[in-house]
Amino acid sequence: MDRNVAIPAIVERRVQLVARLRRRRFWDMSDVRVFATSLTAPAQIVLLFIIMFPLLAEVYISLTSWTPTRGGDWTQAYRFWDWGRNYVEILRDLAFWQALGRTFLIAGVAVALEFLLGLGIAFLFLDEFPGKRVFYALMLVPMMIVPAVAGYVFWLFFQSNGPLNAIISLLIGQPFTLTWLANDVTAMIAVIVAEVWEWTPLMFLIMLSGLVGLPEDQMRAATMLGATSWQKFRYLVLPMLKPIIIIALVIRGMEAVKIFDMVYLMTQGGPAQATETISIYMYKIAFQQVRWSYAAAAAMTILVIMTILASYALRPLQTPQREVA
Amino acid sequence: MASVRLENLRKEFGSVVAVKELTLHFPDKKFAAILGPSGCGKTTTMNMIAGLETPTRGFIYFDDRCMNDVPPGKRNVGFVFQNYAIFTHMTVAENIGFGLKIRGVDEATIRREVGKIAELLELTDMLPMNAGRLSVNDMQKVALGRSMIVKPRIFLLDEPFSNLDAAFRAYMRGELKRIQREIGQTMIYVTHDQVEAMSMADYIAVMDFGVLQQFGTPDEIYNQPVNLFVANFIGSPNMNFIPCYFHSQNGQGYLVQKHGNARILLDDRRRQLLERHPGNQDLIWGVRPEHLTLHAEPSQPEYLRATVRFLEPLGPKTVVHLELGDQDTIKVIAHPSYREKTGTVQWIEINPKYLHIFDAKTGLAIR
Repeated sequence: MDRNVAIPAIVERRVQLVARLRRRRFWDMSDVRVFATSLTAPAQIVLLFIIMFPLLAEVYISLTSWTPTRGGDWTQAYRFWDWGRNYVEILRDLAFWQALGRTFLIAGVAVALEFLLGLGIAFLFLDEFPGKRVFYALMLVPMMIVPAVAGYVFWLFFQSNGPLNAIISLLIGQPFTLTWLANDVTAMIAVIVAEVWEWTPLMFLIMLSGLVGLPEDQMRAATMLGATSWQKFRYLVLPMLKPIIIIALVIRGMEAVKIFDMVYLMTQGGPAQATETISIYMYKIAFQQVRWSYAAAAAMTILVIMTILASYALRPLQTPQREVA
Repeated sequence: MASVRLENLRKEFGSVVAVKELTLHFPDKKFAAILGPSGCGKTTTMNMIAGLETPTRGFIYFDDRCMNDVPPGKRNVGFVFQNYAIFTHMTVAENIGFGLKIRGVDEATIRREVGKIAELLELTDMLPMNAGRLSVNDMQKVALGRSMIVKPRIFLLDEPFSNLDAAFRAYMRGELKRIQREIGQTMIYVTHDQVEAMSMADYIAVMDFGVLQQFGTPDEIYNQPVNLFVANFIGSPNMNFIPCYFHSQNGQGYLVQKHGNARILLDDRRRQLLERHPGNQDLIWGVRPEHLTLHAEPSQPEYLRATVRFLEPLGPKTVVHLELGDQDTIKVIAHPSYREKTGTVQWIEINPKYLHIFDAKTGLAIR
């Protein structure tokens, strides 16, 4: 008899929802989300343009065989459109993959050494010792030196009549004249040493901040339970530092793969291709061989590889903590 | 199981002396509390017993063995920290089993032992949980379990309940006492909460400014405080202190209030004691609020006249603040239904059995 009452609440609610959706216009400023989006849109568009434009331009160029010497500017690259032949060629390009392999070798060894050294030195800096502040300042010097200058200094350092050989000669008591940078293996070692020297301080800083933040009472609790220093490191310090360690390794890993200035100044990728990293390789392709579209395709390939590696490396950070029932 | 003996223990941090020549003997299998305000050196004492701090001077013995040079991990001491120091990246089971794991005990044994401890502490359901997500109440239990599993000879607890909520604190007081009886463990407990110390401990060591003030059973500490500090620190509301001097007249001894004319007649023993006491013109008498009774009429000549200033109704009791003489305030615990108005004259009865007399200069009790 009373039909208004007979409408179930849930039906009524749905009717209201449909009505509200119909009423909404596309540009409804009374909607908080629309309003907020409209306010931030200019900045978002500018930012999107800055980030996306070079990327899209690179993808575009990489799909052609355009290069400045073939005429026209990059916007006319479509005239040389070749459906990704560059990518097929890269897959078959031994020099590219060798350069990539070398880069990973240098980055892997250098970052591992930087990490171990940085962590070790950070442990030393947890204790008080005379002259700590001076050493602290000295530790940071390598990071503040321009890489180009550091590269030049290391180039001098490893010369056959340079200071390193002079020191070795003194130690062994006879003239030692190894031409470090002219030998495949030693040139690689020299590059790694320079890289480690330059970037250990960063690792040291990150690790020190992690160690300083460790809860002291947990360490004391482990001490009371009879844990040795190694057990405390293994079961407490490492797991607690894990997020910081992963981030530090990923940051440094990604940076190390881009290594260019040190190598270019010390060996220019030589002898032959012995220290040719991916950056040096791309530099040669783009500016010596002037194959811009090929360099663009190579860059894209590296971007894809690095993205996959980085997301894989960062995965432990994303696993959510176990939920409480 | 072991007794703990401290001999002339001293600890300096730079120019600060945290603990001064502390000599103490904590008996085996007993529950002892170190009680004192913050900064009195109680935690430092605890850390020295544990081996986390090295004493500047003095010796620490467990039974008859000097422990000064034994590293903390080898002292076999269980330590529960104020903030629990739970390993937040491990599960509850891993936390409790940590002590066994680092000793290289096999997995099956660890699981069995962890199960036993969890049962004792009622943690069984939480074993697979991430310890970092527990409530502080449960964290405290995990911290206890983690220390218990290695069967320490001595248990040290550093204000373990100060972060717990009030209801759970009361519950844990009972639990800890039960556990201590069950495992027959020597426990030393640091706290600034006198109620905790009084309710749980067999022995209490009261400390202030790094100096041991008194060591005794809760009864002794409460009934025979050796000085003003202990008398003041123990009891809530705290003891009344009235500055006074000794006066003898016609062979009778009196304590006369300095800021008023309240007189207390002394018995012969105390009169003789005070007659011989050199500083008898500068004294303080003290009585706990719970040992005073209020009367409406001066039915006995020795009742002290006082006027009500305000009331603190606490539920089970009412604390009455009265003015005695010119500037002295005196607190009396009265019946919960006590509702006299401000300014009412009341007569205070003092039970001489509970009268404490202190030398105002040295602060020491005269007994």
